[in-house]
Amino acid sequence: MPDDIVKELSQGAQPSERAAHPRRRMRGFRLWGRVLLIVSGAVPLLLFLTFLIAPLIAPYGPNTQGTGLPFAVPSSAHWFGTDELGRDLFTRVLYGGALSCEIALGATAIAMILGVLWGFIAAMRGKILDEVLMRSADIVMAIPVILLALIFISGFGANELSLIVVIGFLLSPSTARIARSVALTETSRDYYSAAVAYGASWRRLILREIFPNARQSLVAMSVINVANAILLEASLSFLGLGIQPPQDSLGSLLQEGFSFLYNSVAYLFFPALIIVILIWSLNVFADQLAVFSDRRAL
Amino acid sequence: MTRYLVRRVIVSVVMIIGTSVLIFGALRILPGNPILTRFGANSGVTAADIAKIERQLGFDHPLVVQYWNWIAGVFHGNFGKSYFSQFSVTTLIAQRIPPTLELTVGSILICLLISVPAAILSAVRPGRSFDRVSSMFASFALALPAFVTGIMFLLIFSVHNRLLPAGGYAPLSKGVWPNIRLMILPACTLAIAQMPLVFRFLRGQLVEELSASYVRTAQGKGAPRMRVVVRHALRNALIPGLTMLGLVTGYALGGVVVVEYVFGMGGLGSLAVTAANQRDYAVLQGTVLLISTTFIIVSLVVDLTCQFLDPRLRTQPL
Repeated sequence: MPDDIVKELSQGAQPSERAAHPRRRMRGFRLWGRVLLIVSGAVPLLLFLTFLIAPLIAPYGPNTQGTGLPFAVPSSAHWFGTDELGRDLFTRVLYGGALSCEIALGATAIAMILGVLWGFIAAMRGKILDEVLMRSADIVMAIPVILLALIFISGFGANELSLIVVIGFLLSPSTARIARSVALTETSRDYYSAAVAYGASWRRLILREIFPNARQSLVAMSVINVANAILLEASLSFLGLGIQPPQDSLGSLLQEGFSFLYNSVAYLFFPALIIVILIWSLNVFADQLAVFSDRRAL
Repeated sequence: MTRYLVRRVIVSVVMIIGTSVLIFGALRILPGNPILTRFGANSGVTAADIAKIERQLGFDHPLVVQYWNWIAGVFHGNFGKSYFSQFSVTTLIAQRIPPTLELTVGSILICLLISVPAAILSAVRPGRSFDRVSSMFASFALALPAFVTGIMFLLIFSVHNRLLPAGGYAPLSKGVWPNIRLMILPACTLAIAQMPLVFRFLRGQLVEELSASYVRTAQGKGAPRMRVVVRHALRNALIPGLTMLGLVTGYALGGVVVVEYVFGMGGLGSLAVTAANQRDYAVLQGTVLLISTTFIIVSLVVDLTCQFLDPRLRTQPL
């Protein structure tokens, strides 16, 4: 995970770094930042939407064999070429992308709900409960995420639902850490003490007081989580412990392509390209979101 | 210092116990059944056969007793017996340690060799072209999953140019060159995954240090630029950088799983993947426990080293 983004989110930007840039360049940076923010947000959104309407735009069925010769190179009939059974790779990437994004979004939803509750409760209750909750987050994070994923997947079995649940759970402790530090800055402010003083309920404190103020940081965090979920799903499917045939995800396409390393480059190239573009743009988007929310706060 | 040391060691021990409970608990409580997986689709398996194997593997004891037996064994260097093959887990793991160790250490060295100078050059002139270009590379490398880098390297160096072998591992006893030849691509793959983290973190620290007043003082008294950067600023930036090194070790230990798979190296990572596929819980829990314990101990050593190097940290609470 991009740790500097996390650091920035939890601590605010370091003022000295900004001071290092001469002031006259700020205007240029601001415009460039805005363009970057829009482009990096639009790219994953457009890709998601394209995957969503895959059944409408895919030229062939996802598992229709013999639509062309095996291992055909990219052409106008097969934009991404074909695989070992003559299935159209463009179609398979569309359907695979849809499944990957579905898993990533589902996992992010779980990670955000679990992580935000985990972190908010730790920050608001404090003391022993805080210590216990954060130490347990540390313990989960002490095991490299992919290894913990192997354990959970071999317990739950490798399928779509278990991937969503497992990835969601694995991303929650880091989310909890951010949520906690964001909540800690809010609970130290006067409006929070005021709300406590007039006897606001827990629900009100979380939903009406902290949440609206922490929203920007949490949005950036969920974007990072989507990127990490895509990465984790692709890694697991690539290792053969994720989506199983005949279903496809971007990772499982790569895994199948990997066994034909010497036959076809396109088989590997396009799924890999989509994964990299998705993760890159989401990372940049989260980065820019964090910068913008800082700037507004200052 | 002693109080900090004692507290920090206790925290690490608690974390090791916690991870072992998490690993063991997750494998026992989740619905997967290793015995049924082992029999697979074989017909003619009776309930008595299953009960016999359960007894052999100690599944008839309560969970707490099973956990205790496992941990007590680990302290005697006995990780139990593989459910699948008839080898002991200790033997299986011991065979797989050398490639993983070499890969991890090698990748961290390569990563430092490239990212530390790059971070210095960027931080000296923030916002200039070198900084812009290397920051862009870092942001791109951050989005490059290890399997994509690995596949790219394989396509370029093994499939199209046949410069380097596509995978495997040769122990050092077979000579230095055969060993290194097989290690270059995997180590670089893993290093690329870590570089952006080290680069961005160290660059940020350096920029911050360079704007400190002691740097202005050093410049004011006429110290050469390179001396100010390396002797004054870098020394201060490296202490938080050391903490980053602990984190990077964690990334590397997780990254070996994918990298070993891509390059067909028989290390701990591929052992864990095979074990997860076969539901060989004895092997899986042993391997993951070993790797996470290594990570916790490395973090401990890193933290203590920081305390030793920087007296200012000693006054801070944990």
